[in-house]
Amino acid sequence: MEELFAPPAYEWKRLSPKYRSLRQLTSLVVPPLLFTIPAVIVGVASGRWWISGLIWAAAVIIALLRLAFVGRSWRSWGYVEREDDLYITHGVMFRNLTAVPYGRMQLVEVESGPLERAFGLATVTLKPASPETGARIPGLSPDEATRLRDRLTELGEAHASGL
Amino acid sequence: MTAPQQPQHTSAADPAVSTAGPPPVPAARALKQTERPHPLTPFVRGWLVFVALAIGWGREVVTGAGDNQLDTGGLTWILPILGIVVLLAAITGFIAWYFTRFVIDDEELRIETGMIFKKSTKIPFERLQSVDIIQPLVARIFGLAELRLDAGNSSTKLRYLSRGKASRLRDYLLTRAHGQQASIRDLDQQAAASIFTDLGVTDQPLVQVSPQRLIVSFLISSEWLIPAAITIIIVVATAAFEMVPLALGGLIPLLIGMVSLIWRRVIGMFNFTLAESPRGLRITRGLTNLTSQSVPINRIQGVKVSQPLLWRLLGWYRMDVDILGYAQGDGENNESNASSVLLPVATPDEVELAIGRALPGFNLDAIQLHPSPKRARWVRWFDFWTLRYGWDDRTLITEHGWFTHVRDIVPHAKTQSVRIEQGPLQRLLRLADVHVHTPRGPVNAVAHQLDEQTARELALRQLDRARAARLAERQRRAVEQVGTDDHQGEAELLAAFGTSRDQLLGSGGESEVFAIDHERVLRLYRSGHEAPRRTAAQLQILYQSWAGSDIGLELPMILESGERNGRFFTVDRRLSGRNFSGWLQHADMAQRRPALISFFDATERLQHLPSLVPGYARLIGEGAPQQFGTLVELLSSMLRGPLETSRTQLERDIPDVAEVWNRLHGELAQRSVVPAIVHGDVCPPNAYLSQGPEGPVVTGIGDFSPHTVHADPLIDVAGALIFLELEPYADAAADAAWLEAVAVERHGREIVRWIDVYRRFYGFYFSNAYAFDPHLYAWCLRQLSR
Repeated sequence: MEELFAPPAYEWKRLSPKYRSLRQLTSLVVPPLLFTIPAVIVGVASGRWWISGLIWAAAVIIALLRLAFVGRSWRSWGYVEREDDLYITHGVMFRNLTAVPYGRMQLVEVESGPLERAFGLATVTLKPASPETGARIPGLSPDEATRLRDRLTELGEAHASGL
Repeated sequence: MTAPQQPQHTSAADPAVSTAGPPPVPAARALKQTERPHPLTPFVRGWLVFVALAIGWGREVVTGAGDNQLDTGGLTWILPILGIVVLLAAITGFIAWYFTRFVIDDEELRIETGMIFKKSTKIPFERLQSVDIIQPLVARIFGLAELRLDAGNSSTKLRYLSRGKASRLRDYLLTRAHGQQASIRDLDQQAAASIFTDLGVTDQPLVQVSPQRLIVSFLISSEWLIPAAITIIIVVATAAFEMVPLALGGLIPLLIGMVSLIWRRVIGMFNFTLAESPRGLRITRGLTNLTSQSVPINRIQGVKVSQPLLWRLLGWYRMDVDILGYAQGDGENNESNASSVLLPVATPDEVELAIGRALPGFNLDAIQLHPSPKRARWVRWFDFWTLRYGWDDRTLITEHGWFTHVRDIVPHAKTQSVRIEQGPLQRLLRLADVHVHTPRGPVNAVAHQLDEQTARELALRQLDRARAARLAERQRRAVEQVGTDDHQGEAELLAAFGTSRDQLLGSGGESEVFAIDHERVLRLYRSGHEAPRRTAAQLQILYQSWAGSDIGLELPMILESGERNGRFFTVDRRLSGRNFSGWLQHADMAQRRPALISFFDATERLQHLPSLVPGYARLIGEGAPQQFGTLVELLSSMLRGPLETSRTQLERDIPDVAEVWNRLHGELAQRSVVPAIVHGDVCPPNAYLSQGPEGPVVTGIGDFSPHTVHADPLIDVAGALIFLELEPYADAAADAAWLEAVAVERHGREIVRWIDVYRRFYGFYFSNAYAFDPHLYAWCLRQLSR
């Protein structure tokens, strides 16, 4: 099983553990937050606050389930820079492995939202000419993200071939 | 052989079109004659407004004459407003036309627009990716056409021009875009293209789709039958319960969709013609709006051949291509979708023909297709028996689909990235999908439901194959094109000699030639220092040794050489007259034949040039002059280099290539001659023509190169007529056959045999063209299979 998605003769580089913490936080916080609004509306409108309680309970269950999956999802991510291409893998249920040749990268972007910044994380996105490729690596430390961007840009130029 | 320069595609950041603020200085404008688009342009652009005007006026006439019409009292107040709108639109249209000026001449392509905010767009010729002609219905009625210029990432419209002018300019611009020199004045002699198909005289139609076939194929296509069936079911069902109005909400969008489908698939594809022009493939189509679009072969990223269920009965297929940059409209208008159609409906023979042009060297029969494992039926129960994939060293093929059978073909060199995907059900069955990504477009190559091991191997190997293909492509580019990184240095270098990229006279595999003035040209070598320096030094010795002898031909001379901004250059004497190849394309037969005789004479005269080296020898190149004991040894040594790269390719394309090779050696071994100077590449692009007392004659031969040897003089005699076949004018093959007859008349029947031998020699010699010039490679294959 592992063989299908393993990079040949390399070890996967994993995401920063902070990314797991970030995901744990968002999985815990986001569903209850999202469910609060309908719960309050239902409670106010009908006066039957036990229905709101059920909605909250559902939110908590969803949050816990997601929390349980965060570890697996985080572990499923991996990337490795080979001589000529970058491999990225992720997915727990639907797994995939994408290989992007350096020569095909048109643009490498580093992004970091407010929440990611708070956790000291950044996302690297590769933009090849093909829209289907959609290669991105979330949850990197800013240093690693910058290093990766510079490295990929450099390799991209070295391997550059027109289209 | 001079390889045509391919248009260059560079990264998105490249400023393909320079838009400068103020237009050029008035003095420059006074010198140069700018033109306005056709005076009918404002009428055509604002036709809707004029229709409104006509209706308004017509209505007034009708109400004036009629008595039992609707009460139009409420409408009369609209008329003045309508009048003002019409007037405003007419004024804007007129202003837009009045302030649009363009120049397309030998030096530049510039379009100026705007009354207050002036905008001057200058597009360098070599940046042009494609030039399309579009004729909306109204423009067509008035005999006008829009020219759409696609350069890099931007598209510029020039509308409207008269149709003849538009198609002449298109031909001219495409010639220049390929880096060839041409003069705009020559184009005026060219015959006009047909009104219905816009095919020029030099265009050879490859496939024409008849209206009957188009309509029948449309009526039985799944795309049409499904909405049609749904419509009928809805109508019948609601009619049965007498609730038709209820169904309208669903029917109206459905009907709109069906009308738009008819518009795209029938009206838009009417009279569809795929033609081969001297500048690649050309598509013309459309009943009301005529579109004429050029297909840049080097930008084709993949091919999709599909077949809806019912088309199987008639053996029809549809072909789409991914063209880089074409589908970027994101499907917002139908035009951009339609432009990826290579053939709307075609027979297997036609598909094969079109694939041969779109992906040169592709051979479907040589590719072994592997089915997906049986257990795929648990996931793809609806089409598991159709899943197939296969590859050879150049392309990957995937097939799937029962309802609509689809075959995607992606050349390895165009592979963007590769992905393996596996869902939970697939994991249980140990299956996985392999996606091979190409740029945006209809082609979507997925090898479905492979065994895990096979999938992994396919994906990883595909990356290796893509890498190897890219490497080959890059080498090809390095040879063909000047590196993009030293544009600045190159511009400075050209400026130092008082010339510029616009003065490009011609380009070959090793160098590009720019005009400095009437006397001199600048030859700029593409890369490296050692090889060009050596070549130039050897050529200089050769040219100097010829200085004393007069064979009635102008020959090149190196006046100066040096290195600047990292590039090696020489300043050569400019041969007088004009390029023979360019002239041939527009000359008529009465002029052409005497000129060809003079060309033939010139090649025969080359053997009288003195040689510093006795015996068989290579005169230019590493280790030259290098002497050989026999002709066959010399020629084998010349073939060694090209064959190193092309051997495997030839072995695949010609099964008995070893036999052809041995036969060539056997025959050459029998040949015994007094060696003489052989140019080695006496094709029309290397010859120059001037006006003689009795018409144009060839007066100069240039471009001596590493092909130049001391060998059998018959090589040049044979070369003169066999390279003629490569010229892109319609009667080139007939002229070559005629010239062969002339050769027989002069030298006797025996010569036919040797011409044939040298055909095969050149077939091997230029066979490494498979990597960069499919047209030349196809010619090589023809020589070798004679």
